[in-house]
Amino acid sequence: MSKKKPKITAAGIRRVVQILFLIAFFALLLLTRFEPTSGSTSVGGETVITPALQAPAPILKLFFIFDPLITVVTALTAHEVPRIALFSIVTIVVTMLLGRVFCGWICPMGTIQAIAGRLLRGRKKRRNIGTWSRWQLAKYYILVGLLIPALFGLHFICMFDPLVLLTRSSTTALLPAIQIASKDTSTILYHTDPGIGPLRIDKVVEPTYQFANKYIFGLEGVDHNWVYPGGGLILLIFAAIVALNAFRPRFWCRYICPLGALLGLFSWRPFLKRKVNTETCTHCDLCGMSCHGAAAVGPGEAWKPMECLGCMDCTESCKQESLTFEFSLPKRKDPAIKSVNLSRRGIITAGVSGLTAMAAMRISPQSRGESYNPALIRPPGARPEREFLKRCTSCGLCIKACPTGGLQPTLTEAGLEGLWTPMLVPSIGYCDYMCNLCGQVCPTGAITELTLEEKHATRIGLAAFDVRRCLPYAYGRNCMVCEEHCPIPDKAIYCLDVDVKDRNGQVKTIKRPFVDPTKCTGCGLCENVCPYNDRAAIRVASANESRHPDNQPILGGDSMGYPYG
Amino acid sequence: MEKYSRRDFLARSAAGAMALTSPALIGKSLLAAENAKTKSAKMAIAKWAGPKKLDVSQISKAAVKLTEQAIQGIGGLKQFVTKGAVVWIKPNIGWDRTPELAANTNPDVVATLIRLCFDAGAKTVRVGDNPCQIAAKTYVSSGIAPAAEKLGAEIVYLDTSRFKEIDIKGELIKKIPVFPGIMEADLVINVPIIKHHMMSTATMCMKNYMGVINNRPTIHQNFAVCLTDLTRFMAPQISVLDAVRIMTGHGPVGGSLDDVELKLTLAAGTDVIALDSWGAGVLGKTIEELPFITKGASEGLGTTDYKSISKEIAVS
Repeated sequence: MSKKKPKITAAGIRRVVQILFLIAFFALLLLTRFEPTSGSTSVGGETVITPALQAPAPILKLFFIFDPLITVVTALTAHEVPRIALFSIVTIVVTMLLGRVFCGWICPMGTIQAIAGRLLRGRKKRRNIGTWSRWQLAKYYILVGLLIPALFGLHFICMFDPLVLLTRSSTTALLPAIQIASKDTSTILYHTDPGIGPLRIDKVVEPTYQFANKYIFGLEGVDHNWVYPGGGLILLIFAAIVALNAFRPRFWCRYICPLGALLGLFSWRPFLKRKVNTETCTHCDLCGMSCHGAAAVGPGEAWKPMECLGCMDCTESCKQESLTFEFSLPKRKDPAIKSVNLSRRGIITAGVSGLTAMAAMRISPQSRGESYNPALIRPPGARPEREFLKRCTSCGLCIKACPTGGLQPTLTEAGLEGLWTPMLVPSIGYCDYMCNLCGQVCPTGAITELTLEEKHATRIGLAAFDVRRCLPYAYGRNCMVCEEHCPIPDKAIYCLDVDVKDRNGQVKTIKRPFVDPTKCTGCGLCENVCPYNDRAAIRVASANESRHPDNQPILGGDSMGYPYG
Repeated sequence: MEKYSRRDFLARSAAGAMALTSPALIGKSLLAAENAKTKSAKMAIAKWAGPKKLDVSQISKAAVKLTEQAIQGIGGLKQFVTKGAVVWIKPNIGWDRTPELAANTNPDVVATLIRLCFDAGAKTVRVGDNPCQIAAKTYVSSGIAPAAEKLGAEIVYLDTSRFKEIDIKGELIKKIPVFPGIMEADLVINVPIIKHHMMSTATMCMKNYMGVINNRPTIHQNFAVCLTDLTRFMAPQISVLDAVRIMTGHGPVGGSLDDVELKLTLAAGTDVIALDSWGAGVLGKTIEELPFITKGASEGLGTTDYKSISKEIAVS
């Protein structure tokens, strides 16, 4: 390396901006959690303390608000555009002016790709990272192939949105791994620290753990681990995406990212264009070798703005300083600009494949609304399943916000179309009576925002006793943990005195619990606290959920006629 | 540095773990046993004799006065709090409910005790319980955390991974995870509230010790023996039984103002059995209806005849 004074270059500024956005992304994600001290609201005439988010919900959703892919797809699937999503027009206008600077400067997934590429490939292999491949067209075909089914309500493409992917992977796999590792190591030291002479390791570890637990993970006084059984597969996929950078740098951005493809289409003829000074250019191709998006094919070749990420590494690499980016009005025919050639055949193939895939995803009685999965307990406020799937991006923000950790990503419960969408798993965590955060953070309104009064009137399922396990039923013993915990003010679980005989024929009176189906909202607290820790003796199933009149075996009216609120 | 063999290492770790837990526990129970022998049990019942119709802020003031008078009635806190002591105040912070619903100990009672502890020379006052719902929320909605923080007490959340398994040598409960922070305190002040309880009929002093342990659900299968085991292990020194508001039905969670009764009374004492016997009356129950009290009394943990050791104080 030269020992020149470090110069402030555009690429240098970009790297700082990238890191700042990456930090901002994770800061907002970590802050998507509840703050117990703020917020009080009036429910049924009395004041109750309610959990609020650490920051206003629109700020926590900031990255999603500016994501045009989510806006476009939701407009196609659900025929509606949330007013707040109109901010994504800003992203589109910026892209039309400057090109894919979102990819090169802002996108946290892009930054992770860039860092991974650099780390995995090392200094030697960095040469010639700019080789163009026709496979880079794949992302456009993925975009087209999944946008056409979007017209028929398939929201699946958002699964591949980089912000969605990173949020989901972080929430269910990356952050939990860090959290559990920090907790487990510090716990082992707390209980067994032998000390080295007078030195005790936990004098350092314990305060560090307490600090992280309180300020970084926000789990002080919440006391559960971030446990996501479905996170393993998500982690594997994320790891594979990162690992592919060893093969090609920015693999995800170049070959797969549908958001990148969408922004690529908008940067077909940008105002900000690369300009080569032909008099000083020596055709050394250093610029091509350093190109993140493989947008400049070879010495003297034309520049592909649709592939350019605006990272400015080329201007930095040029020893002759003959590369600049300048503003000029776009021309229809510009010899310095090369378009990527999408073939009509390719587009049709992609569309047909997408439609076929959609049909395959929907071959199941469940996705046709003919039967319901008892395990698929959606968070309160979730729209009816078909409308829900039209909007849910599977980003996992609701999963991150859930204070009990009960919201989990699905695997097969909602069919392939609903992969990694949120469902409540009461054995892991219940739906807190005073909480409505999932609806507040949902970026697309798949979970509608409920007031607490509305939430209290919304059933997400129904609890039922397993009388072959429940202690007062199966073994004639007293137990009232479920009744005690039931958060409904006048109790959806009640106990009646019954006489039972013990093995000697002696009659004794015990209390036996029952569920009142007109009062149970399916929050799952009873299942969560049941003394059985393998399979609870009271379990919630999706039956009776307010959102599906067809899935209500109990006569008692819809949620509007529900006696609460 | 000298070399350790693995055997040494293991032995030392075990010794360290033992050293961490046992002296505190053994020392404390010895002390309590001595207390029980030398000092006769004391109890004071403070009753509100002022105007009956009170608004929220007046109830709050009454709660403060009741607490002060009851503590004075048993001779002040100085006899329990040594200079520079670490005091753990153990209220009932069980449920995510606001004070007027009487699901948790009255925050004014807790705040007054914190103040009195500091006045008596305590160095550190910690407040903590093991709530049944999300602790961070429950501490706030109970009003206890904000009140305690204002007075400079430490709010402690009981991290389940930090509980240490201890043999409490009970009749039914043997080894159970106990929160070490509470056991290491010089003094534990038990501050429960009187509530209806579906299973144990009432929750008062003895039942409040359940907040110290983890793995609780199975205890419901035999409250009388389990609560006696716990109380024996905790070796109570001083308790304050809050009946400013009591929960008369749908306990222990409640949630409706219909189940709350304004009693404006409170008792402090050294004998939890006597306190619970008094509380049974406040709740409109007889002692015979509460098997854990009779079981505790038969094990020699105190007397059900609270009238013989208590005095009544009228507060206005």
